[in-house]
Amino acid sequence: MGSNRTGWLLLTPTLVILGVFGILPFIYVLWVAFHQWNAFGANPYMIYNGADNFRRLVFDTEFLESIWFTFQFGFFAVVSEIVLGYFLAQFLMRDFPGKAVFRTLHTLPLIVAPIVVGSVWRLMMTPSIGIIPYFLDAWFGYQLNIGSNAGAAFVVTVIMDIWHWTPLVTLTLLAAIVALPKDPFEQAQIDGANRWQIFWHITLPMIRPAILATVFIRLMDALRTVDEIWMLTGGGPGSATRYIGLHIWKVVFPKTDYGYGSAISVIVLYLTLVLCWLLYVGLVAPRNGRRT
Amino acid sequence: MNMRLRMGMVALVAGLMASTAPAFADFWSDAGAKFKGVTLHGVTESTPPSNYIKDVLAPEFEEKTGIKVEIETTSWDQMYDKAIKDMEAKTGIYDMIYIEQDIVYAYLARNFLVDVTQSLKDDPSLKAPGFDESHFTTFANYFRGENGDLFGVPMEAFIKIYLYRKDLFEDPKIQEAFKAKTGKDLAPAKTHEDYTQIAEFFTEYGKENGLDLWGTTAQAHTGHPASWYEYVESVAPTFGVYNWGINAEKNYAATVENGGSMNSDEAKAALKYWLHLRDIAPPESAASTWTEVASTFAAGRAAQGLVYGENAAWIASDAEKSKVVDKVGVALPPVSDGVMADAESGKGYIGYYDGGAFGLPVTSKNRDAALLFLQYIGQDSVQSGWAVAAPRITNTATYDDPAVKEMDARLGGYYTMLKDEGKLFAGAPPFPFHAQVREVCASIFYKILTGQIGPDEGLDQMAQATEKELTNLGYRK
Repeated sequence: MGSNRTGWLLLTPTLVILGVFGILPFIYVLWVAFHQWNAFGANPYMIYNGADNFRRLVFDTEFLESIWFTFQFGFFAVVSEIVLGYFLAQFLMRDFPGKAVFRTLHTLPLIVAPIVVGSVWRLMMTPSIGIIPYFLDAWFGYQLNIGSNAGAAFVVTVIMDIWHWTPLVTLTLLAAIVALPKDPFEQAQIDGANRWQIFWHITLPMIRPAILATVFIRLMDALRTVDEIWMLTGGGPGSATRYIGLHIWKVVFPKTDYGYGSAISVIVLYLTLVLCWLLYVGLVAPRNGRRT
Repeated sequence: MNMRLRMGMVALVAGLMASTAPAFADFWSDAGAKFKGVTLHGVTESTPPSNYIKDVLAPEFEEKTGIKVEIETTSWDQMYDKAIKDMEAKTGIYDMIYIEQDIVYAYLARNFLVDVTQSLKDDPSLKAPGFDESHFTTFANYFRGENGDLFGVPMEAFIKIYLYRKDLFEDPKIQEAFKAKTGKDLAPAKTHEDYTQIAEFFTEYGKENGLDLWGTTAQAHTGHPASWYEYVESVAPTFGVYNWGINAEKNYAATVENGGSMNSDEAKAALKYWLHLRDIAPPESAASTWTEVASTFAAGRAAQGLVYGENAAWIASDAEKSKVVDKVGVALPPVSDGVMADAESGKGYIGYYDGGAFGLPVTSKNRDAALLFLQYIGQDSVQSGWAVAAPRITNTATYDDPAVKEMDARLGGYYTMLKDEGKLFAGAPPFPFHAQVREVCASIFYKILTGQIGPDEGLDQMAQATEKELTNLGYRK
């Protein structure tokens, strides 16, 4: 009983912080989502409007487009980061000259603020001054203009995200690989397993928890990305890179449509949870012998 | 008058001046003494005039009053984001905020701002001797409430001008080539047809001669409202489409069928004209806001363009930033028939008169100290240095200052144009729903820019979406 009380006592600061900074704002957003509230409307006060905001977003093509673009962005960015991160982690398991320097340089993007990443990429991508359009034109005759080419803008945002976040994946997977016991690998080699078989039947299952944790973290990050994209493309051209985080920002701040913006935020949170749950059910639960 | 008497008069005047000057100087130290330890916080867009406040006027004020001033200069979007959040949540972080002319109606509708005139009447001890509201140009009227009181001290005002490269326009070889190609003399355009012809000529000329030169600038970012602003504020009015095509007298109608003009034939012609210019502008135009347009022009990549006046000074005079120093001329934007007459009669306008004021949020915790600072930046005595450092004039006393006149010559007569022709330009329409309609229209506008929808269809959609939004907001009944 006494230790129970001590446990709760120790947990209290965390619970208070979580409550004040996590739960209460969420409840407030949920409350606002059921109201019409535009600070610059003829009536700038909150008016209860039931589920109208949620009904509205089902028919809002901008929102639906934004969700679709965001999932595409999340899929391509996270899959690429996991694959690339795994190979880089394996590469860093070996000894080679300059390994320490490479590891440091490779980790540098992680410490750069997203807004700075966006600025730097914008400078590199701007036609006439950007280094990348310059060389693409000089070497391949390809005129890259992410201000007018929607496909190119999408690809560039994915590449920027990969550049920024692959080091995180590499470090996480490297830690997981380093911690693997040697016995199963030696046993497999004695049994005559080839590299692919070792990877598929031993390495992958053993680092699966680390991969999944990384996927969840990166997916949630990718779904709410704002600053880098805002700086690089502003969501354009058109709405090609108006990912959901940026869409919410535009609805809530410049447009000051607080009620509708809150409804979108709630739905996006819900969709993220559903996506993570589906990943869990599809990838983790079967391995644990559970189906839910 | 004999010599002795004359010398006596001079000595008397000098004595009087000497005794008066410390009294004026003392006002700031006396007034500031009451606010010892106070730090004022302001937020503004990072523009040359704002940077002058931060770098020159704020330190001067601090030295004279002892009141510390911290000015945060940031991007246009962030500035609004921060100011509105602060006033909406009543956190009182900011004592001064930048009020762009187009947002003032929304702020006044929400009672976000302190009545500067009334506050100084209520407490005359705060009234600075060198501050006089009547010295402001007519641009200050945009910041007056219905009662005529001032709710912001104008700190920048400029027109979006037609800037052209004098060196190119006056080059005999180019003039000859232009004449041979078009049969016309090369001169700043007065009509849209002439402007297009000049733009096409220079784009071709650049290509033929292997130069990084295009015929025009275009503020055509495909994901930033700057592009929509260029169209509604600087291009559509020159075709006779005013107030964004929204008719406030007809229940805020935007569609032609309800009495608006957002999707009128004139609006459609204006958009097609501008889209063509965008197509022959430098490739970076698709990612250009007002800042990048100025950079493009300063890099010598465009022969002509519509450029915000706030950038004119550094483009024309700062050799560290600009390749076209002393090579620029200014002119009025090209217009359709009847538009100039509309502008002269006050019925319409030919372009955008932009600018802003420093205002005092009602949520400020240092209202009186902030009032002092607002008066400090509004005094006649600080205006000329400010106008030379950044091309803005908000005070009538500034025009005749020798330093300003000298700068005017380098700017190709920009200040003279501001003084004499400023009345032909207008600020944003007095809509309290400025940002809301902009956001609704901009997302459709970006689709027009990327070719996802045609200009006619896009303008129809914009007009309908505007009416829908205004109905949702409760302005359209």
